[in-house]
Amino acid sequence: MTDKDITGIVVTHGQLGEELLKTVRLIVGEIYDCYALSGSDLGDEKTVESIRGILDANNTKKAVVFVDYFGGSCGASCVRATRGLEGVKVISGVNLPVLLDFVTKQGMMGFDEIVDHLIKRGRESVKIVDF
Amino acid sequence: MVILFRIDDRLIHAQVVVGWGRKLRPDRIILADDQVSAEDWEKELYSSAAEPDFKVTVLTLTDAADQISGGVFDSEKIFLLVRGPAEALEMLEMGLETNEINVGGLHFREGREKIMENVWIDDEETGFLRDIVKKGITLEARALPGDERITINSKVV
Repeated sequence: MTDKDITGIVVTHGQLGEELLKTVRLIVGEIYDCYALSGSDLGDEKTVESIRGILDANNTKKAVVFVDYFGGSCGASCVRATRGLEGVKVISGVNLPVLLDFVTKQGMMGFDEIVDHLIKRGRESVKIVDF
Repeated sequence: MVILFRIDDRLIHAQVVVGWGRKLRPDRIILADDQVSAEDWEKELYSSAAEPDFKVTVLTLTDAADQISGGVFDSEKIFLLVRGPAEALEMLEMGLETNEINVGGLHFREGREKIMENVWIDDEETGFLRDIVKKGITLEARALPGDERITINSKVV
């Protein structure tokens, strides 16, 4: 079984999430069901509310909440918003390779498998580039 | 079989690998470029930009034209990439056959004029593209597969 439509929410400090999604669009074209939230602009309460609002509107689907930094306020808001929810995972340390694989490889694997894949992709993309 | 013949001065980059590659799923990307072919580290750099998702072969323009026309890659779906109009025309002059070339990206450089978003060309390049059009080939300008296909033949003749 594969999940072709997993909701993606990118929660970051500043405008990083919005800019990451803009860059993903620049590379792959239009994307669907992906949202960016600025945790630092919204503050904890509104961030939690916004995440839940998006998840509620997509209640038949699975979701991945990406956050820029584990240990910051955005991470705490993501955990608060999603604790105990089935089919929703929070992944910290989001970067461009992770988001590109999220939007282009969804149809190829199941939910748990893509979550594992994204974490591996993120880790492997940080490396010394030496030619 | 060449499923996409693209002119892009950025060669192998994210739009090619992720934007086109994950949509059309070629078996191999062939980068036909004399400059990159001459340097091992450049070959390795461009190859690693697409691997392990896609096989990458870097060849000189002559070797690429000969091998593609000679049927070496007939059993595979190929993305063929060159850096500019001069290189595309050179491959056609060497016998490579195609009905269409995707003009994916020619960016600002001194002396070039903008003919549309992501496509800037100078007088010499306009001449090369005109020669390509005279061979009955459609030039379609599009950065990504989901973008609108814009035929630019009339802009170069």
